[in-house]
Amino acid sequence: MPSPSFLESPTGDFQAVTSTLEKTQAPRSAEEERLIELRRRENRQKWFWRVAGYVFILGTWQFFSSVVFDPRVVPGPVQIIQAFPVITGEGRFLESYAATLTRIGVGFGLAFAFGVLLGIAMQIPWIAGFFKDAITIGLVTPGLVWALTGLVIWGFEPQGWIFAIFLTTYALVTVNIAEGVRALPKDLIDMSRAFGVTNWRRQRDVVIPFLAPFLFTALRFGFSIGWKVTVLTEVFSSNKGIGFEMRVATQLFKMDEFFAWALSFFVFALILEKLVLQHYERKFFRWREEVAT
Amino acid sequence: MTVTVSRAPAVRQSGWRRALTSPTTARILFPFVVIAVWYWIYYTIDSRIFPTPLEVLEFMWEEITLTSGVTYSSVATNLYGQFGISILRLTIGFAVAVILGTAIGLGMGLSKRVDAFFHDPVMAVLAMPALVWALFLGIVFGFGHWAPVLTVILAGIPFVIINVREGVRNTPKELVDMAKSFEVPQDKITRHVLMPSLMPFFFAAMRFAYSIGWKGLVVAEVFASQVGMGWTIKFWYDAHRAKGVIGYALFFIIFALALEKLVFDRLARRAFKWRPQLGAYELAEGDFAGVAGEGFLLEGDEIGQSVQVTGMEGNTGNG
Repeated sequence: MPSPSFLESPTGDFQAVTSTLEKTQAPRSAEEERLIELRRRENRQKWFWRVAGYVFILGTWQFFSSVVFDPRVVPGPVQIIQAFPVITGEGRFLESYAATLTRIGVGFGLAFAFGVLLGIAMQIPWIAGFFKDAITIGLVTPGLVWALTGLVIWGFEPQGWIFAIFLTTYALVTVNIAEGVRALPKDLIDMSRAFGVTNWRRQRDVVIPFLAPFLFTALRFGFSIGWKVTVLTEVFSSNKGIGFEMRVATQLFKMDEFFAWALSFFVFALILEKLVLQHYERKFFRWREEVAT
Repeated sequence: MTVTVSRAPAVRQSGWRRALTSPTTARILFPFVVIAVWYWIYYTIDSRIFPTPLEVLEFMWEEITLTSGVTYSSVATNLYGQFGISILRLTIGFAVAVILGTAIGLGMGLSKRVDAFFHDPVMAVLAMPALVWALFLGIVFGFGHWAPVLTVILAGIPFVIINVREGVRNTPKELVDMAKSFEVPQDKITRHVLMPSLMPFFFAAMRFAYSIGWKGLVVAEVFASQVGMGWTIKFWYDAHRAKGVIGYALFFIIFALALEKLVFDRLARRAFKWRPQLGAYELAEGDFAGVAGEGFLLEGDEIGQSVQVTGMEGNTGNG
């Protein structure tokens, strides 16, 4: 077995060292030049293998599409891209997005609000004990089970999908907040108690600011589960939305359109989750070094 | 859950009151409140198909004792048959995911090139909903065993890869350096340094892969199978029998909890007996240690930060 890659670098964190080296204007020694060259080579190699990974995946996909299976069953990458104008051109595109985002907004919004409040309330042992099993159940139960249960109780009424999205995501939010509650700085709380600060002020000025980064984490993680279960509820109980379009596409055997719908929302959700939320998280916490890194 | 906020009562409470306000009492109270809410829904929605808890229990008892008289299919006639098929599919998919994922994860941890090669595809597979796999594989392979098993693999494998990679990266560099300078052979370094530091991550990987795989399997069985637990719940749904849907939902929850608590907790405890600090850590972490991990593995890039809170257990939903 080869040695771990970090041992191959001449210094432990040489990417960081060389990047500061590169920025300095002073004449560099031969050793410094060598390090910078090494770093550049390493970066070039990294990019090469990264591109190779993409080529490999797309190539395998194309191979399966045209050789192993039928292109009508497994559409190739090009076919899927060609299906994008089809799904966007039909006028249902924006309507579907609006429908799905409304569901996420209502269902996950409620779950997030409840999850955060419950997480903060977990400071009280009685409430923590009461909801302990509820949270474990919320985490182990597949979203599909809630979706079908909600559907069989309420039919196509909004309560059905709200029930499903809520029960699938709230526990995750609570757990992330509870994680923050567990890490609360005990000394600050003790001090505020000793100085007779009221409970309300303590929550507002100590607990909630401390929990803020956990709120963001909870939001991102919750959203990543939330959009998936939302799409799932649409497959069963909707006549519009991304999940509904995906179901219709498979029923009509239009696999290229199916993938176009799935990928479009997948990319949309990833951008929202990784870029937008992460960007705001960083911006919001720029003043806090340990979180920003 | 162990909440660290200490509460020193100013006045000593009587035993009676203490018992009432203890978290354990609250925990016992929870199921009763659920049943009360259930009855409340029962009386407010006025639906003919919505069952009372008693009807659901009766249904579940009939399924367990095989007195319900329902024969699902020739392959799996009853509850046990359906469960058996699902567990078989889960086991096969899980085994493949763990073996393949460990190989790729080791490669990614040990070599930067392999890491660059696999990183983005793994992240993409990680974020893809199981629903997409299930619908797609159902069309490709029909309603056999292939679609559910492949869904389990695809849902579980990114978690194994990411955890194993993180485990390799977490190997203490000083120990490896020291071993090298004392000319310890590479295979011994692998066995005594790399493996032990990898173990907690490997366990986390197994746990995640199992719980995600289970959730993926259910979705795949609903959309791309004619047998199995997921299919059974769909069967009762199609038959408009709410007690069947809720009853099987409860079977699900019970099974998932049992496997989580009985199998994985025990395995983890046994595997880490030699590491006293980890046992202590687990106790301190309380009961949510397992679950908090969810996000961590959804969010591959931030593992470093969340590993400390996660420890070695976890659980995720793939919708």
